[in-house]
Amino acid sequence: MKSAPFDYFKPGSVADACARLASESGGAVAIAGGQSLVPLLALRMAPAVTLVDLGGLSALGQFAKTSDGVRIGAGVTHAAIEDGKVPDPSGGLLQRVAGGIAYRSVRNHGTIGGSVALADPAADWPACLLALGATARISGPSGERVEPMEALLVGAYTTSIAAGEIITAFDVPALPTGTRWSYQKVVRKSGAFAMSIGCVIVRPDRAAVVVLGGTTTRAQLLVETATAFGGDEARLRAAIARDLASVQQDADDYVKRLHTATLLKAVREAAG
Amino acid sequence: MKAKVSLVLNGESVSAEVEPRETLADFIRERQGLTATHLGCEHGVCGACTVEVEGQTTRSCLTLAVRADGMHVKTLEGLAADPAMMVLKRWFHDEHALQCGFCTPGMLITARDILSRHRAPDAGTIRKELSGQLCRCTGYANIVKAIEAAGRELAGA
Amino acid sequence: MADTHEPTGWIGARLKRKEDGRHLAGAAQFVADIRIPGLKDVAFVRSQVAHGHVRGIVKPADKSAQVFTFADLGNVNVLPAGPEMPSFKLGPYPPLAMDRVRFAGQTIAAVVAGTRGEAEDIADTVVVDIDELPAVVDCVAAMQPGAQKLFEHWADNAYITSTITEGDIARAAAAPIQVRRQFRMNRQATVTLEGRGVVAHWDRRLEELVVYLSTQGAHVMRIGIAQSLGLPEHKVRVIAPDVGGGFGGKNRLMPEEVAVAALAIKCGHPVRWIEDRREHLIASVHARDHTYDLTISAERDGTLIGVEGDVYVDAGAYALWPTGSFMETSMAARNLPGPYRIKALKVNTWTVATNKAPMGPYRGVARPGACFAIERLVDEMAREIGRKAFDLRRQNIVTKAELPYTTVGGMTFDTGDYVASLDMARDLIGEVAVRKRQSQSESDGRAIGVGFAFYSEQSGHGAAEWMKRKGRIIPGYESCNARMNSDGSVILAVGTQCFGQGHDTTYAQIAAHELGIDPSLITIRYGDTSTTPMGFGSFGSRSIVFAGGAVAHAGRQLADKIKKIGAHLMQADPATVHIENGRVHASSEGVAASLPIAEVARAANIRQELLPAGMSPLLEVTSTYEPRDSAGVFSYGTHAAVVAVDPDTGVVEILDYAISEDCGTVINPMIVDAQVQGGIAQGIGTALYEEIPFSSEGQPLATTFADYHVPGALEVPLVRVGHLMHPAEGTEYGVKGVGEGGAIAPPAVLGNAIADAFRSIGAQPNETPMTPRRVSDAIAAARAAMGVRS
Repeated sequence: MKSAPFDYFKPGSVADACARLASESGGAVAIAGGQSLVPLLALRMAPAVTLVDLGGLSALGQFAKTSDGVRIGAGVTHAAIEDGKVPDPSGGLLQRVAGGIAYRSVRNHGTIGGSVALADPAADWPACLLALGATARISGPSGERVEPMEALLVGAYTTSIAAGEIITAFDVPALPTGTRWSYQKVVRKSGAFAMSIGCVIVRPDRAAVVVLGGTTTRAQLLVETATAFGGDEARLRAAIARDLASVQQDADDYVKRLHTATLLKAVREAAG
Repeated sequence: MKAKVSLVLNGESVSAEVEPRETLADFIRERQGLTATHLGCEHGVCGACTVEVEGQTTRSCLTLAVRADGMHVKTLEGLAADPAMMVLKRWFHDEHALQCGFCTPGMLITARDILSRHRAPDAGTIRKELSGQLCRCTGYANIVKAIEAAGRELAGA
Repeated sequence: MADTHEPTGWIGARLKRKEDGRHLAGAAQFVADIRIPGLKDVAFVRSQVAHGHVRGIVKPADKSAQVFTFADLGNVNVLPAGPEMPSFKLGPYPPLAMDRVRFAGQTIAAVVAGTRGEAEDIADTVVVDIDELPAVVDCVAAMQPGAQKLFEHWADNAYITSTITEGDIARAAAAPIQVRRQFRMNRQATVTLEGRGVVAHWDRRLEELVVYLSTQGAHVMRIGIAQSLGLPEHKVRVIAPDVGGGFGGKNRLMPEEVAVAALAIKCGHPVRWIEDRREHLIASVHARDHTYDLTISAERDGTLIGVEGDVYVDAGAYALWPTGSFMETSMAARNLPGPYRIKALKVNTWTVATNKAPMGPYRGVARPGACFAIERLVDEMAREIGRKAFDLRRQNIVTKAELPYTTVGGMTFDTGDYVASLDMARDLIGEVAVRKRQSQSESDGRAIGVGFAFYSEQSGHGAAEWMKRKGRIIPGYESCNARMNSDGSVILAVGTQCFGQGHDTTYAQIAAHELGIDPSLITIRYGDTSTTPMGFGSFGSRSIVFAGGAVAHAGRQLADKIKKIGAHLMQADPATVHIENGRVHASSEGVAASLPIAEVARAANIRQELLPAGMSPLLEVTSTYEPRDSAGVFSYGTHAAVVAVDPDTGVVEILDYAISEDCGTVINPMIVDAQVQGGIAQGIGTALYEEIPFSSEGQPLATTFADYHVPGALEVPLVRVGHLMHPAEGTEYGVKGVGEGGAIAPPAVLGNAIADAFRSIGAQPNETPMTPRRVSDAIAAARAAMGVRS
């Protein structure tokens, strides 16, 4: 189980990386922490002509408080967030999510940007950042742009990131005092990707936000369920059923039961 | 293409021209001849290949050797005189925490990392932290006991 | 010579393992760690399809010398495998495919290159032209008329079929209570953490083929390799270095191993193949894959009467040398009566060829399926007649007074107290407290269940049993060569293979017991056909009975000679001499004398003039041993588990797990407990996590650890182990084997615990692994049947 040969490029800057990724659009692949990409290479499931190594770009490893939250560099590792090195304006949600990803030795290298860019529908960060209303900062050949998570996530393993672009950071808004959240995930075994993720955030100043992860497509905002937040169980179940019908049409009875249970648990915990 | 890799392996500077596809695990095992680092799955799940890179536990099968250029890498061989490792090994022996021994190097390196981040951790913490290290023989019970005992000893408890 | 000894001294001691040092130092040597100058790596071209005719293999023009097909290997014999019975249809397994491929992953060509990566690069460019045939993936459908056949000259897809009819079938058929259920135990891999591996080279000095092999039995593999390559056995040396787990998965001669051995001769330089995890999951030994349709019958008072029905085992595409998996169906059928006074057994069995990787042995062989079936049936019968399952089990289980007891399946349980085992398990798990908790509702909506399952583990079975199974090789004995050096240290060479079980330690304890010396003076050697006497390796929970017995006999023979020499040196009456604590003691008429055993060893080895007249020098013997009754001795135990089940997600959490076990006399309790705990971890894998599903085209759908879930530290609970100890009567010291038992009962006990949690609605967790989806679906189906909204 050894990778096919590929070339390796270590860019000196983000611009350098983008230029190389743009110039070899078919075969250049960015590598961040490598914790998902390297296995795919080893299994010869991800063809790569050139790896563009984002690992050494110090710009991506930065984090800082901002006026309304925190900016987390795309190259920040799960472990750094887990260990509380990154200011957490979410009242512990980021830290909790980071600590539940895979295993420590994977968290030591895996990055928040790499996770979002891969857009595995069962991954944690897309669901979490979507619920938090985070925005991605994206650099590319034509400069920098910002994209809300809702627009960034397109489908399973698909994002709006164009050839030559990389995510450089996420702006995560702070949650005001009094916010309640719940993050629930069902896994086949510890450390495995999620079968179902339910993330609920209830700010005192806004309507509840409900996100479902672990679908066959992408992390999804559940509008009906959010609207029904605070209602009785029958109303919530009906809302979840309507949401599932629109976000995962192919869900069979088990998947419906699974997601419903996860979401109900998250809603109940967030409701207190 | 080939790329030059220079790194400090167990305190010694080593360098080689490698293909970018060469993993750190293969670099250590095949090029440097250090075989304590085992390959159990080569896709990052079993944990047998765990080493330390810049002081952090790392799947050497998920790390390309070129990306470890300039870094400090430690394998079980290089931790022979490490005080915490010596305590762990003694407890692994006392508690019968190994059977076939294939997972043992990765377990020990992970255990040392657990004890560096948690003072005298309880069994629940150890089990959570060990969840990325597969053992097929022991059923984990004695590994957990050994780490728990080593943690208590190192904490002076 | 007495067969039964009271445990004393080293027997029963919690001695720490002698083999730990090298592993803790990172200095163990597994096959992948062997370094030989000039070594090149091998990768295999494997079939992408499950079934088809191979029309052509096109090698890349510039690398054709590095690519080897079957025809390129030279004269390789494809060995017949499976039981030697006229009714058994042969499906020989070539090291590289010839004209047909029969499963996705089958080896087609071998590539030799400087690194494994380069070999895989070349393998990717080999073009294989295959005319696809329909894939046979369902072993029941495979037996329907008109089904696609794997072997054209066979009448149907069954390697073998049989019907077992024992006891009063008519009474069973007429019994007032009949409960019929279907069970499935799905296909899994053995998942040694170290995969298989082979390094081979032709040693020019010794003119022999040296094969380093990760195997459970070097001697048997040498026979197979020699026969495959047409070499005399003295020209083949097989060395098993450190072996990273076996569990049955390294006890068959596999195609890659023959191919690499052939390549070593063909290429003239050392070659190596190290199985990667994907290869392990798609093409190594597969296991289980049982399908049952059974009816259990009882009187209204709960007296169990009979078990009837069908057993299918999906044995995959080929028979693995030497014996394939063909003890699987008969063992499953014969174990179906369990430990109960069941008087009738009528089972039709089919061992079926399908387009999946060949099946082989895996820890527990057949019994996890049989135990799952019978123990679930007993619980279902209890529910049917409104009884507590524990009580029904206790009512029907064979009592101590009835032992030895021959079951309707033809197995003779020897010693033990099965009722005491049940009771101990109930007390260990604290059933009363669990029932109390169960009666209250959990705040998280989960349901609590408690289950019990009894298992027995035939071990130490020898010639009689293996002859019954028509094996090509009859592992009826083990051997030990014992040699005391001139300083009194001892080397014991045995024919079994340690792959984690602690043989270095337990055999040393036995020899220390017999020789009166410290275990630190004893070295155990195994895993090298050039330095160990013939033996069959380690499998079937046989090592402690067979090799332990051989070590005991060799030790005693050495001790006898030591005593004779010692008596001579002390001028004492040999009848008054005994050995203890490293010395030979003579005591008679109030006169005591002693001398160090090392003095005796010195005389025997390098000062032969000190020996009694006419005595041959040296302290060296080779003993063989087989137990008095080669039908085997039975370890047994009761597993008890408490689970919490989320009815919607179907997630099962094991809250508590306890076992009462009895493996007779224990040589080293630390090692026995660890075998139990480790076996249960694997059984939990079978019960809840591990599965290789197949698509309808025969593609394996779990090919990495991302899809194939091996239980980790959070999935395996700390198991509390209680001990009963009823020594066997026909083995040395009264030992019984213990390797497999832990893995047998977890599917049954967890199935029963899950069913117990939903007893009121009759949920049927009857298919392993009991995944969240299967459990949730079973609950939903039961609710739907009762008209309850899920």
